[in-house]
Amino acid sequence: MTRQSKAVRLTIRISLVLFFLAVVICPVFSIFLRITPAGVRALVSSKDFVPAIVNSVTTALTATLISTLLALGAAFSLSRTNIRGKGVFSTLFVLPMLIPSISHAYGLKALIGANGSGILSWLLGLNFSILGFPGIVAGSVLYSFPIAFLMIESVLRYEDGLPYRAAQVLGIPPLRRFTGITLPYLKKTLISTFFAVFTMIVTDYGVPEALHTRSFGYTLSILMLRDVENARFGSAGVIGILLLVPAVAAFTIDLFIRDHGQSGFVSEPVGAGCGRGARVLAYVFSGILSCLILLPIAAFSVQVFAKSYPTDLSFTFSHIRDTFRSGADRFLENSLLYAVLAALFGTALAFLSAYLTTRAKGPLSRPLHLLSITSVAIPGLVLGLGYVIFFNRTPLYGTVFLIALANTIHFFASPYLLMVNTLNKINPDLENVGKTLGVGRLRIVFDVLLPKVRPSLFEMAVYFFVNSMMTISAVSLLAPPAPLPLSLMIARAESQIDLGKAATVSLLILSVNLAVRGAMALARRRAAQAQG
Amino acid sequence: MGSLKDKLVVRDLSKGYREKEVLTSVSFTVRDGEFLSILGPSGCGKTTLLRLLVGLLTPETGTIEKDGVDITFAPPDRRGMGIVFQNYALFENMSVQKNVEYALKIKKGTRMIARERAGEMLAAVGLSDYAKAMPGKLSGGQQQRVAIARTLALRPDVILFDEPMSALDVATRLSMRCELKRLQKTFGTTMIYVTHDQEEAFALSDRIMILDRGEIAQLDTPENVCKNPANDYVRSFVLDNLRAKIESLSAFAEGLSV
Repeated sequence: MTRQSKAVRLTIRISLVLFFLAVVICPVFSIFLRITPAGVRALVSSKDFVPAIVNSVTTALTATLISTLLALGAAFSLSRTNIRGKGVFSTLFVLPMLIPSISHAYGLKALIGANGSGILSWLLGLNFSILGFPGIVAGSVLYSFPIAFLMIESVLRYEDGLPYRAAQVLGIPPLRRFTGITLPYLKKTLISTFFAVFTMIVTDYGVPEALHTRSFGYTLSILMLRDVENARFGSAGVIGILLLVPAVAAFTIDLFIRDHGQSGFVSEPVGAGCGRGARVLAYVFSGILSCLILLPIAAFSVQVFAKSYPTDLSFTFSHIRDTFRSGADRFLENSLLYAVLAALFGTALAFLSAYLTTRAKGPLSRPLHLLSITSVAIPGLVLGLGYVIFFNRTPLYGTVFLIALANTIHFFASPYLLMVNTLNKINPDLENVGKTLGVGRLRIVFDVLLPKVRPSLFEMAVYFFVNSMMTISAVSLLAPPAPLPLSLMIARAESQIDLGKAATVSLLILSVNLAVRGAMALARRRAAQAQG
Repeated sequence: MGSLKDKLVVRDLSKGYREKEVLTSVSFTVRDGEFLSILGPSGCGKTTLLRLLVGLLTPETGTIEKDGVDITFAPPDRRGMGIVFQNYALFENMSVQKNVEYALKIKKGTRMIARERAGEMLAAVGLSDYAKAMPGKLSGGQQQRVAIARTLALRPDVILFDEPMSALDVATRLSMRCELKRLQKTFGTTMIYVTHDQEEAFALSDRIMILDRGEIAQLDTPENVCKNPANDYVRSFVLDNLRAKIESLSAFAEGLSV
C-alpha cells in the first residue's frame, strides 16, 4: 500500500517534470535552435538595432528608478504612518494591474497626447507631446508601479520594530534610523524589485508600441514583434535571447538573496505612529500618486462616452455600439474562455505541484520546484516566440488551449509560490495522523487540506483570470491563428486610429477585472464574517 | 502496571538519515498496560523511535513484534497503535465531534457506531459540552484532549505520545498528567510517552528509557534510575536536572524570605 502510493507519487512527479520541460524549457531552447548566423547578421546590420537597444535600456532604466522610488514612498506612507483611508489608497495603487500595459499608454495619449490632442493639453492650452521618451517612461512607470509597491510594502509590513525602539531610546535621529536600520533591511528587496521591474518594462511592448515616434525609433520588444510578424524567426530569436538576459539575471539574483527579511523573527511590529508633518506628507504623496494613476484611466473612460474627444464631451454610447459591432463581444468571449481555462488549469496545476514539493517530498521534488518557478524568468514575448516555434507543427497550434497554456505558464510562478507558502504553514503531521487513523492521503487532501487552503485557491484562480484578461505579450504572437482575445483589440483599434474603440476595450477589461476582484473581496469578507 | 505479558518486543532497531545513524541497534520490551517514558535531550532519537514503532518510518535493521506478531513493515493503521502529536494535528475545518468520528466513519466496521463511539470518547476526556465547537476555539489543553479522544476512538491497545505537553502551560500540564493516568486506567492501554521533561517522565511512568545519541543508556523504574544510574551519562543527566530544580527552588525561597 505504502510502496504503491509512493510509486504513484513518483509517477506524478516524473509526469509533471516532463510536462514543465515540454512547456517551459523546450520552447525556449527551440528559440536558440532557430538562430542562424544570417539572422544575427541581418539584425546587427539593421539600422534600427543599436538605437533599439539604447532606447530599451534608457527608458527601462529611467522608468525603473522612478517606479521603485515612488513605490518606496507609497509603501512607507501606508506602512509607517497612521493616515486614514489606507485601504482606498492601496486599492488605487494596484489598480493599474487590472489593465493591459497598452491601455496605460493609451490613457496618457487621451490625457496629454501630442500637440493638444489630449484632454489636459486641450483644456490648459498646452502644446506638449507625450509621445516618445517621456510617454514611454511614464507609461512604463504606471504599468510597473503596482508590482514594485507590492514587493516593497509586503516586506516593510513585516519588519521587526525592536531595533527602532532601541534606536529611539539611544536618541538616534529619524534620518539616521532610516539609513542605519531601514535601508539595510530593505537592501535585498530593493535590488530584487529593481531587477524585476526593469525586466518587466524592458520586455513589454504595449507601452512603446503605442507611444513610439519615428524620431524616437523602436525598442527591442517592438523589433521582435515586427520580426515575428514577418516570419523572421532567426533575428526574433536573437532579440528573444537578449530579452532573456535581464530576466534570468533577476531570477538568479532573487534566488540567491531571497530572504527579504520575512523569515526573521518579529518581536514587535514597527508601528504606524508618526508626527503630524509626516502624516501630512503621506497624505499629499499618496493623494498625488493616486491622481497620477487615476487620471489616464479617467481620461480613456471619459473618451468612451464622449462624442468627439476632447473637443466635444457630450454623452454618447456610439463608441460602445461601434466596438461591439466590430466584434468586441466575440473577442470578450475568447478572453473569458482563455481566462477561465487558465484559472482552472493553472490553479489545479499550481496546487498539485506545490503539494508535491512541500507535503509529499521525494525524488524530483527539488527539480519540480525549480521548474515551477522558472517561468518567472521567461518574459511573455519570449515565451510566446518559443511557443510559435516549438508548437508550430503540433495540433495544439492555433487552438484556444495553446493560449490558455501559455497564459498558465507565463503567470504560474506567483500562484505556485503562494500555495507553497500556504501549505508550508499548515500542520505537517496531518497526513501522518491520517496514516495512523487509516485515512488515505487523498482523503486528507480533499477533506482537510483543500477546505483549509480554499482562500488561497480562489486568490490563485483570480490571479490567473485577471492576468489572462489583460495580457498582450505571449498572446500577441499566438493569436492569430488562435482566436483573438479582447486585449489585442486595443492595439488593433489603435493602429486603425479608432481611439474610441481602444478606450472602450480598455474600460471593458478594467470593468471585468474589477468585477472579479470585487466579487473575490466580497466573498472573502463574507467568509471572515461567517468564521466570526 | 497491568499484567507482565510483553506487549511490544523491539530487537536491534536501527535508523539513519543521509548516512548519519540516529538510532543504533535498539532493543527493549514494553509490557502490557505499562506506561513507558522515553527521555533524552533533543536529537537523541526519541521521535525517530516513536515513528518507527507506529510505522511512519521503516527501520534499516531490526524487528518490532506486537503480541508476538511481526509488525516491522505493517502499515500504520494495521498496527493497533495510535499516536498523539506534539502539535495535536487536529482537522481544523471539522468540529470536535467530527474530528473524533472522522476515521470511524471511513472504516467499514465502525461506520454505524461512529457517532455513538465519538460521544463516549468525548465524555471520557470531559469534552461532551464542546462537541460542536471548532478546534480553533478551544484552549491548548482542550485541543490535546480532542487529539487523545480521536486516537482512543479507534481502540488502539498502544498509544504513543510525542511530547504532547510541550506547548501547554504548567497548570494545564499538571491536570493533563492526572488525566492521562486516569485514561490509562480506564482503557487499560499501553502508553509510550516521549518527552524531554524529566519531571513529567518521573511522575507518570512505570519505567523510563533514557536515550543517549541513539542508544539506550538505561531502561528501568524511576526509582532505580535515580538510585542506581547505569552510567555517568545517566547520572549527570538526572543529577543536572535535580541540581537545576534545587537551585531554582532555593532562589524562589530566597525571594520569599526577602
